[in-house]
Order: sequence, then structure tokens, then C-alpha cells
Amino acid sequence: MSHSYRTIILARMGEIALKGLNRGKFERQLMDNMRWRLKEFGAFTIVQSQSRIWIEPKESNADLLEDQEVAQQVLKAVTQVFGLVSASLVRRFSGDMEDIKKQSVQLTDDILSEHDYKTFKVESKRGNKRFPLASPEICVDVGEAILIAHPELTVDVHEPDFIIYVEVREDLYVYSEKLEGHRGLPVGTAGKGMLLLSGGIDSPVAGYMMASRGMQLEAIYFHSYPYTSERALEKVKDLAKIVSQYSGTILLHVCNFTDIQLNLYKNSPQDMLTITMRRVMFEIAEELANKQGCKCLITGESLGQVASQTIEAIQITNEVVKTMPVFRPLIGLDKEETCNISRRIGAFETSILPYEDCCTVFVAKHPKTHPQKKHIIEAEEKLDIPALVKQGVEGIETYKIERTSK
Amino acid sequence: MSIYFDNSATTKPLPEVARLVFESLSGEDTFGNPGSLHRLGVLAERDLSASAEKISSLLSCKKEELIFTSCGSESVNTAIMGYVHQNPRAGKKIISTRTEHKASLESLSRLEKEGYEICYIPVGLDGKPDLTALENALDENTALLTFTHVNNESGSILPLSEIVAIRNKKNRNAKIHLDCVQSLGKLPIALSRMGVDMASFSGHKIHALKGFGLLYIKSGVRVQPLIIGGGQQGGMRSGTQSPYLASAFALALEKATEKIEENLSKMTELRDFFSCELEKKGVSILSPKDALPYVLNVSFPHFQSETMLHCLEEKEIYVSTVSACSSKTKAVSYVLSEMGIKREIAKNAVRFSFSRFNTKEEMQTALDAISMIYEKYMV
Repeated sequence: MSHSYRTIILARMGEIALKGLNRGKFERQLMDNMRWRLKEFGAFTIVQSQSRIWIEPKESNADLLEDQEVAQQVLKAVTQVFGLVSASLVRRFSGDMEDIKKQSVQLTDDILSEHDYKTFKVESKRGNKRFPLASPEICVDVGEAILIAHPELTVDVHEPDFIIYVEVREDLYVYSEKLEGHRGLPVGTAGKGMLLLSGGIDSPVAGYMMASRGMQLEAIYFHSYPYTSERALEKVKDLAKIVSQYSGTILLHVCNFTDIQLNLYKNSPQDMLTITMRRVMFEIAEELANKQGCKCLITGESLGQVASQTIEAIQITNEVVKTMPVFRPLIGLDKEETCNISRRIGAFETSILPYEDCCTVFVAKHPKTHPQKKHIIEAEEKLDIPALVKQGVEGIETYKIERTSK
Repeated sequence: MSIYFDNSATTKPLPEVARLVFESLSGEDTFGNPGSLHRLGVLAERDLSASAEKISSLLSCKKEELIFTSCGSESVNTAIMGYVHQNPRAGKKIISTRTEHKASLESLSRLEKEGYEICYIPVGLDGKPDLTALENALDENTALLTFTHVNNESGSILPLSEIVAIRNKKNRNAKIHLDCVQSLGKLPIALSRMGVDMASFSGHKIHALKGFGLLYIKSGVRVQPLIIGGGQQGGMRSGTQSPYLASAFALALEKATEKIEENLSKMTELRDFFSCELEKKGVSILSPKDALPYVLNVSFPHFQSETMLHCLEEKEIYVSTVSACSSKTKAVSYVLSEMGIKREIAKNAVRFSFSRFNTKEEMQTALDAISMIYEKYMV
């Protein structure tokens, strides 16, 4: 190693810090999730101290984070674990004030080689009270050293282009950038939900949002081959994989829906087809959820977005689910906001790939937007719903989806 | 057994081709670089030269007029862009149609950005360019005409001799590039007698291999190379040549040429049978009547293209919706739109493309499958 520091990662917990007596449970889950998430990169020692987590490569792969590219990947993976506000790559070293100055200048050199920054400030924290200088004095000394090395920079304590953080504990630390985390609560602290996953933009975001509240996910996809292609199924698997970067492993249940859909098409009125179809889907999902120990259904519905998402349509599909709540985390979101989240979690590009999905082929020209009870009774008159649901549940194939990309 | 009706997308390599390639790849002295000075290089060079010889005789041109490339698109790119770049004083105008393959259209749009005037001649329902419009457009400033011999989506055949005659009458200096990717091995091609100056071909459409293309440049026509480097092929296309891809192509071309006329009339019969039976089922035929019989574009009422494709796929019958290279964009075929076919019809378009190995039995099986599909899946 040419430099005299060791790169490690410092992550900061968020909402968990507000928990009371059960805080330990949340913290343990977060640590478990972190270990699981980082497994693919190498061996790490992960230590929690107050509301912070220190992640350090083990001796067997001590130089792991000295490779910039790998370090960035690991840092990104860290921030994908729900429960964190932010994380930083931190340089750890030992010594005295001279070493702090030297390392701070070197960090500044590295930052300036990549950014065209003009202003900075220094912040410091002194945990080790035996250290001879107090925090304000450390700031002044480090700031001076940086200014001598880089006379083109000026100090701006209000809106600096970058900040050099110095921490004095048993060891010494400097770092600069913080990568924002996805916040939320650690997955595994809020039971398990069954996500109705389509190939669109909304449902993966809905899954992500529930996972961010600590919920573990399973998903069900309704496959209507040959109306939908094998590629549409591949796309859904890809989306599940993207969500699993955050939520952990997802069991994806693929329900062969073709015959059910044709049956509905032939035996119920055109303008109610979307509603009857969704009611059957909800019932199949509910039965599967119970079988799998899921405590709720999750959908990507947003009020008023399409014909089947008017309040009347939602009410009439919602009523078939008797044993659990249906969570709709996007219900009040604008499409643009949903797209933004989708982009942020890296799902958008996959979501917009144009393969036909089951909703498009059967859509009526003028679906009923304000269906009433009497309409649905009429529409389902000729249908043997329990048989269709049974058929759906029996025709399920399950895939275990795990993130593979780093 | 599956039925492959997507031969315009790609073809299954001939067993002879597969054998030849296997032997070439596993031989002790058949892997040389044709540019090497030692014995292995000489062997490879000899092999390559024999293939060029064979190909040139099958296409009625000189060996020196052929350039081996990596694919049809590379040949087309090189011809169109390379010609006008090498001959800046030939004129600033290029004539074509909007129904060309994307390899041509993208080359043209790049040239347009460079300041060239691209004149797109309209095509009719028969897919052929309007010859009067062509005659009016062709002037002293025209450097190049580029057309497709057989359209990949509709199968319509270019009225080449008429176009050559118009060129000869209006501006003998204007050069013609012909995209022969779909016509090779299906229509007789004699380059020295066709009046064209450049022509592009691809290996994998004639039961040879992917990764091989061919570009014909008539003696005396100067073209700027697209790929530069070691100066192989007289500097026209650098990069180490692949003797086994070339010999695979030569062999496949030989096989395709053997009974080309006989196959063509057999295929005409089969296509007539198939399209007649389809019409009885209410299917609209979009390919023109005088199209190459190897391509049949049709529109299925009540079935969007992709749905029908997957319904047939379920029965192990493989077809295309639009040109496979662009099938991920969900728009109707620009070729069909340009021909004046209504969106409503074009959105249900499916292309069947045959090879000389397809049989009447396969067509009957497909017809039966289509009846079953209508019964089961029509919505």
C-alpha cells in the first residue's frame, strides 16, 4: 500500500435511533441485513457503536476498499440497506496532529483531482478527550494546512463545495463525501407482504416502499402467454431482481392466467372485464399470501391514474380481500414522483421496455370507470369464481429471485 | 418438430457448412492468419483466395471486386458513406427510399447531417419506388442511388433494370448501390451484368454464418474504407480475415445457386398455396402479388402482431413481426406505413419468410395451427 491509511466505511443509522425499548431488535436486524448484503464482496468486520456502523475489510481481503471502483460499489450496496441515513468512505490512520494534517491535505488533493471545487470547510469531532487539541483548534490547524497546500481554495463555512471531516477516536479518521442512504427500517422487522408485480413502473416502486418500512417481500405475477411473451416474464424477473437489491430475496410466484383470462373474457361483459379480472387476481393473491404467511397485499395503484384505479373501482376490487389489508403506498403519489423513485432505485429503464403485458391486450375501449355493486353482481353472474381462483392458485410456478449484480 | 418461417431474420446453417467450420476450427494447420509469412499463413491465404474465387464466379464478378466484411450492415455503411466521402466532387445528392433497411437509413441520416441532400422517392402499395419521381429527382448533382433489391419486410422486388436505364439516361456518373441481403441465393445475381456499382450481402441469410458480410465494389469505383488498420484486402477493409467464414459463405452460396430457378418456381407455388389459404381465413395479404415468394407479409384480423407471434410460437412455429433488428420498439412497421398500409392493418402484420427447405406440409401445419389459434385465442 502506497498510502498510510486504511479505507473503511462509516454508515449512519436513521429512524432506528428514535426507537425505545425494542431498538436492539431493529439494530440486530440491520446488522444481519448488512452482513448478508455485503457477503458477495468479501469478508468484513461490521461493528455498531451508538447510531453508527463501522465496516472494515477483514485481514483476508484487507485491501478490498483501496480499489476505488470496488469501494464505490460496496458503498452503494451499504446505502441500499434500509435503515441508514448515509454512508461514507473513511480513511483511518494513527498518529498525531501532524498526521491529521497530512491525511487531510492528501484527501483534498484526491478530491480536487476529480472536482473543480473552490471552497471548503473543516468539521471535527473529538471522541478521545485525551487528544491534546479541542475540536475548534483541530479545524483551524487542518484548514490552515489545506490552505497552504492549495492557496487557490477559500474557506466558506456556510455553503462550502466540500467538507473535510476529521474524527479523533482511539484512531484518527478523515473523510469527505456522504452518500445518502435509502433510510427506512431494516427489512425483516415488519413481517412479510405479497406484492402484485406487473411489468410496469408502479409495482416495483410499491414493493420498494413497503420494503423500506421493514417488510419482507414475496411477489405474484399474472402471466398470460401467448398474449404476453416470455420476454415480459423475463422483464418481471429483472424488476424483482432490482427490488431485491433493497428488499433481499424475493419469492416470485408466476400464475398462469391465460385460461382464466379467456374465461372471464367470454363470460363477463367487456366494460367490466378489467374489474372482474382484478377481483380474481386479488383473490388468488390473497389465498397465496395466506399460504405463504404474508400479512398483506401490496399494489402499485394510484388514485385516479387509470380506469381501474378510481375510488369506485378500488372499492369494488378491495372488497374481495377479506383476511388482510391491501397496502397501496403510491395511492397519493403523482406519476412523476413515482417515476423519480423508480429512477432512483434503478428500475425505470427496465420498466419502460415495451413488451405487451396482460393488461393491454384485453383492455376494453370504454371500461366502466365508476362501477357499482349491481354491475359486478351482474358481471360475475356466469362466472364460477371459486373455481377460477382454485385454478389460478394451482397453476403457480415459483422462482427464487436474488440480486446477482453488484 | 418446430417450423421455422423466419428465414429473412436469419437461417439455420447448412449441415455441410457446420461440418466445414468444425473441421476448419479443429484442424492442426487450418487456423493460420492469412497475413502470416509462414506455411500456416500461406495455407490460410490459399483457402481464403479459393473462396473469393468461387464466390466471384458464382456472382459473375472479379475476385478483386469483392471485400469480406463482418455483416451486411457494415457492407452497406461502407458503400454508402465510403463512396460519397471518397468522391466529394461526385455531387451532394443521394437518392433512396424510406423503405430501406436501417443500415442504409442511418447511413443516409448521418450524411444528411454532414450536409448531403437525401432525396427519398415515394413507394407505392407494390413497394416499388415511383419511377417518374426518380427520373425527376436524378440530376447532375446526384452522386449515389441506393436501393434494396428485395425488401426484407414486404418481399417486393426492385425494378432494377428500369432504374439502371433511368440512371444511364439522366446521369451516367451517378453510382448505384444495391442492398442484396435478402435477394442473395433467392434471385439470380450476376453483378457484371446488372449495371450496379456496389452491392452488399450477408452470410447468415443464406444458411452460412453470422459474422460474415460481403461488399462488391466494381473496378474503378473508389470507396473510402470504414475500418482501417493493417491494410488487409488492399486497404479496403483492415482486420484479419476469417478463412472459415469465407469458405462457409462460398459453400452456402454454391448450394443456394445450384437450383436457384427451380427453387424459385417451387417456392412461388408454395407461397401461392399458403397465401390463398390464408385469404380464405380472412387474412389480408400485404406483400405485393409480384413479390419474392420467399417473403409473405400478412395481417391477421383481431390479433396484434406480437400476440399472433406468440400464439404461433406456442405451437413451435417461428415468424417475425417487423424486421427482427427493430422488433423491440413498439411501433408499426415503417416499411408498411411508407407503402401506404393503414395503421390498423399494419399493427396486425406478421411476416412469414421461407427458405428452400420449407415444405407444403409445414405450411399446412401452420394453417391448421392458425385455425386453432383463432378458435382458442381470439378476443
